Amino acid sequence: MASLVMLSVCRTAVLRSCSLGLQQLSLQTKQTYLSPASCFYRILHRNYAVEAKKVFVRDKPHVNIGTIGHVDHGKTTLTAAITKILAETGDAKFKKYEEIDNAPEEKARGITINASHVEYSTANRHYAHIDCPGHADYVKNMITGTAQMDGCILVVAATDGQMPQTREHLLLAKQIGVEHVVVFMNKADVVDDKEMLDLVELEIRELLTEFGYDGEQTPVIIGSALCALENRNPDLGINSVLKLLDSVDNYIPIPSRDLVEPFLFPIEATYSIPGRGTVVTGILERGIIKKGDDCEFIGHNKYIKSTVTGIEMFHQSLERAEAGDNLGALVRGLKREDVRRGMVMCKPGSIKPHQKIEAQVYVLSKAEGGRHTPFVSTFMPIMFSLTWDMNCRITLPASKEMVMPGEDTPLTLILRQPMVIEKGQRFTLRDGNRTIGTGLVTNILEMTPDDQAKWN
Amino acid sequence: MSSSWGLSRDQGMTFSLRAGCRMASVLRAKVFPLRQATYFHSETNLFATNKNLLVKLRKRTGYPFVNCKQALEKFNNDPKQAEAWLHEQAQKEGWSKASKLQGRKTAEGLIGLLQKGNCTVMVEVNCETDFVARNAKFQQLVQQVAQSVMKQYQGKQENLSTYIKSFLGVDELSQLKTSSDDTSLSDQMALAIGRLGENITLRRAVWVVVPSNFFIGSYIHGITPSHIISPSMGFGRYGALVICQPSEQSSRNRFADLGRRLAQHVVGMSPLSVGSLQDEPGSEMETKMLAQPFLMDPNVSVGEYVYSQGVAVLDFLRFECGEELEMAEVEPVCHSVEN
Repeated sequence: MASLVMLSVCRTAVLRSCSLGLQQLSLQTKQTYLSPASCFYRILHRNYAVEAKKVFVRDKPHVNIGTIGHVDHGKTTLTAAITKILAETGDAKFKKYEEIDNAPEEKARGITINASHVEYSTANRHYAHIDCPGHADYVKNMITGTAQMDGCILVVAATDGQMPQTREHLLLAKQIGVEHVVVFMNKADVVDDKEMLDLVELEIRELLTEFGYDGEQTPVIIGSALCALENRNPDLGINSVLKLLDSVDNYIPIPSRDLVEPFLFPIEATYSIPGRGTVVTGILERGIIKKGDDCEFIGHNKYIKSTVTGIEMFHQSLERAEAGDNLGALVRGLKREDVRRGMVMCKPGSIKPHQKIEAQVYVLSKAEGGRHTPFVSTFMPIMFSLTWDMNCRITLPASKEMVMPGEDTPLTLILRQPMVIEKGQRFTLRDGNRTIGTGLVTNILEMTPDDQAKWN
Repeated sequence: MSSSWGLSRDQGMTFSLRAGCRMASVLRAKVFPLRQATYFHSETNLFATNKNLLVKLRKRTGYPFVNCKQALEKFNNDPKQAEAWLHEQAQKEGWSKASKLQGRKTAEGLIGLLQKGNCTVMVEVNCETDFVARNAKFQQLVQQVAQSVMKQYQGKQENLSTYIKSFLGVDELSQLKTSSDDTSLSDQMALAIGRLGENITLRRAVWVVVPSNFFIGSYIHGITPSHIISPSMGFGRYGALVICQPSEQSSRNRFADLGRRLAQHVVGMSPLSVGSLQDEPGSEMETKMLAQPFLMDPNVSVGEYVYSQGVAVLDFLRFECGEELEMAEVEPVCHSVEN
């Protein structure tokens, strides 16, 4: 017992679309020395669920929600009110206005939006709540994967009604693929005129319809976050916020998660185990693998079919593995040389490799360690995604002649060889020894003979 | 919701609401079943404002509903008078809003570039979020600023032997008159602040004029506005001007493209000085423009490129939205160079 040392590595974030990318894998190392001699018996033990402070219990579906709206319409007050009300039932930690507003991440605007800054639970769901300070800021955080919105709350003050820039807010929501918006009409306590509220509501519904949202069905909640925060006028205060949360629960659907998809297993390494065969290791990106499943290896111009004959995690045999598990899979009838890092093991026929994509790319600024100078169409970076890397060519959109550091832009990228890349997949672009940007695939394109000719 | 007389007022409103706004009340009923009852027990219509007029006025002017209603009540539903009063009111409210928001940080915004003949104006106007910077109302303001600067200096470009560039700081800018009517730019700013609800600041402007045998290359990088206001006006996060003097034999018709490429280089490589053709070509970190590798073709230096094109670069200007300014640059300078 005395010789046992626990060294637990908690991976607080399992963002791993690229090992060299922007996504930071924060590693917290905790060591307990029971005796000096025990240093010789370190056991490196990977453990996903152990956290020093409090165990995160995953008992409710998780949804990412954001607030958008004019700077003075009360987004922060609403956020504070939500946490205050839910704190009473123990489903949130109350954050005061100042705590949210003066948080370092708000001050350092433009660096990163901290997605887990505010979290709370309703009876049905767990939410991560973010604020969206600017268009470019949000797009950047979405591309790099640090912030995500499955739905959003548009905050409009009943006193002002929608502002000219509300159009720009909805434009952003549309651009980033938010399909469900819930409206909170704030400051209704200051408007003592019901018709006025109705007109503001009518107008906002019209605008939502104009932007392709379901203006008629969209829940519009009238209330006052300040009343909720100051415990007065319960109808406009606490009840309206509860009604809002209820609408968010019911109107914003839970995004489909990875378990139901056909499995995708990017290969990090391959081993040959004498007497047993070839084992491929990595982290299961999505889906479920069961012993006996048929599989296919794709990438680097290879297509090999096989069967998973065994799954192991931490030297223990498993019947099935789930997305996020770090595992080794024993596969039938393959030599170690047949498969290599960068290939992907997947359910046969479920995915195809692609060579030409359209993506939204954020180019790191100089301060973030990116390029100092812009790039033009002649630029040829290396793309890293899943566990593979590949040279690629870029094409700028027609309206652009160059891309400045710190900017986000759509790009067309053509890989030298087809690799596993799908819509929604993240990647990193590097140039020499410097990371220059991150991207998110928005579309898969067909190769033309011209595209092919450029590589020959 | 409100005090003692609020009841009858509410009733009046719900009456007209029932008539004109049934859709909303049906929808509201889904969300607010408890409130539904209040919609159906009103008898008298004390609410004098015609709802259609109100909606029209709001649509046309964009001022808050509360103000539109007040205006209609005040002028007995005369939309013309109401609108005039609203504009007047907007100016006052703009000023009070402006003083309230004063001091809030404005790190976003736009660079606007306006070219007219041999004059070019580049301005920077700041706001709080890039949502506002993307809005047409803000872009109109930036254009107004640029046009005012242009107007201020018009007629001062006779018989030049060299180029003139002149910087304007915040104070001179806010005193300028707009090109369309005779209000000052600071009035326009206050209006925009009232309308957009964000702090907005005029940061700086530069006006450049060249003799007819010179040319100015310009480039603006960043947001492409969804609706082009005027073809001679450009908006973006970066803007650059390059003042060039061509030699006699170089052909004039390529100047626009050449100037654009040079200005693009200035935006991208942000040189600090022009340097001279004698400078050794430097690396990517070089700050003398002519010694920098040319952005569009890094194999040649800018010096080599312009020499091959038969053009001399005399000066350049680069604005980056929200960048830190050196104090010296803000001060008004009248600058001229002997050639």
